[in-house]
Amino acid sequence: MIFIKKIFLFFKRESKLFFRNVVDIFSNILFFFLSIFIFVFALGADEQLLKSIGLGIIWSLLLLSSTLSLRKFYEEDFNSGVLVIIHMRGISYELLVFLKILSHFLFVQMPFLISIPVASLLFNLPTSEVYNLMFTFIIGSLILSCLSSMSASMNLLNKANFSIGGIVVMLFSIPVIIFSVGINEVGSDYKSLINILFGLALIFLGISPWVSAAFIKLALRNK
Amino acid sequence: MMFGFLINPSKFNKFADIILTPLIFTSSIILITGLILVYLSPLDYQQGLTVKIMYIHVPSAWLALLTYSIMTIYSIIGIAFKMPFSFIVNKAVAPIGAIFTLLCLISGSLWGKPMWGTWWVWDARLTSVAILFLIYLIIIFIDKTFENKEVREKTTAIFILIGSVNLPIIKFSVDWWNTLHQPASISKLSSPSIDISMLQPLLVMTIAFCLIGLIIAILRIKAEILIRKNR
Repeated sequence: MIFIKKIFLFFKRESKLFFRNVVDIFSNILFFFLSIFIFVFALGADEQLLKSIGLGIIWSLLLLSSTLSLRKFYEEDFNSGVLVIIHMRGISYELLVFLKILSHFLFVQMPFLISIPVASLLFNLPTSEVYNLMFTFIIGSLILSCLSSMSASMNLLNKANFSIGGIVVMLFSIPVIIFSVGINEVGSDYKSLINILFGLALIFLGISPWVSAAFIKLALRNK
Repeated sequence: MMFGFLINPSKFNKFADIILTPLIFTSSIILITGLILVYLSPLDYQQGLTVKIMYIHVPSAWLALLTYSIMTIYSIIGIAFKMPFSFIVNKAVAPIGAIFTLLCLISGSLWGKPMWGTWWVWDARLTSVAILFLIYLIIIFIDKTFENKEVREKTTAIFILIGSVNLPIIKFSVDWWNTLHQPASISKLSSPSIDISMLQPLLVMTIAFCLIGLIIAILRIKAEILIRKNR
């Protein structure tokens, strides 16, 4: 019971932080919309062209804008010592990473879900594609959260090279993009791809707590 | 222990001093033999002279994969048994693999222009090899990024382990997807679908490439060991 209460308190803290920094998350969404506008200005307003490539553009821009908030994932908690304090309250680093991933998924990735219908309106996407997009984004953003956790914990002691974290996330998100955008091309037989996406999500949910916890321990030892 | 030189720096140094000079001689002999065999090898009835690019392309592709597998094995050893030599190997070998991958990509696109009509196709095999090249670059960059030695080595090793998922994708990409790139002509289980007059120079060139890579790797590892001793 105490254990559940601890987890509840963790999420309470995360939600407080979310409401305090709500401007930050909405500026990520603003970045997303602005980059859509820039894309449209660069490509020209040809309706058919935008319709055919809109889905890919939306997915890749979602990916890019979710890498924006990458450095915030662990760094504040790491520098202020909150990670150690939570660990001393009896939550292992692996579980902590898992909870962090869930809270990142809820509080950073899910606000993008509101923006997806609006963005697909701008590209005149058909309704079925919008449903597919939202559904794949829910699974895919979980994978993205895992990847962000890995690369953010990797970069805890990195003071010089800021872009390598985003590069790592983008590298491993290639399969996510392939299977998410591929759903619209296979037509009715989309269940296999969704299964693959779910499988990827489970694999990353399994791997990333161990990897991130190893990186965090390494960083704490060498701080 | 017979293979102590594979995990122990000082034993490796001794072994390298013994082996290096004969290695340079044999590799130069094999390389010259291979080049003569390539020169004498028959032209393809469709591809003409461009078939000879294969004798560079295939060995460098194999070596790119081999180098990454060696790095993966050494990363596992390094993380599990905390052996510093494996991190030395990782650091020394990564640029070699990157160069071989680049050689494979460049020779492939030089072949692709006259044969397929384009420098580059977004084909599964080509893309996965390009991603292998990016992974090599990221490994080198990670190594340059961190100041702390332990963090740097372990981060690189863990990244190598995560990146090794790409290896089976490269290997089986020609079987899983319909690709423009042809499937493997030489495999262990079946007799090769390549003619013996072309197989001979290919194998000799592969051995020559292996030996050249090995020489560079030995020199780089020795230099790395020296740097760490002096620090």
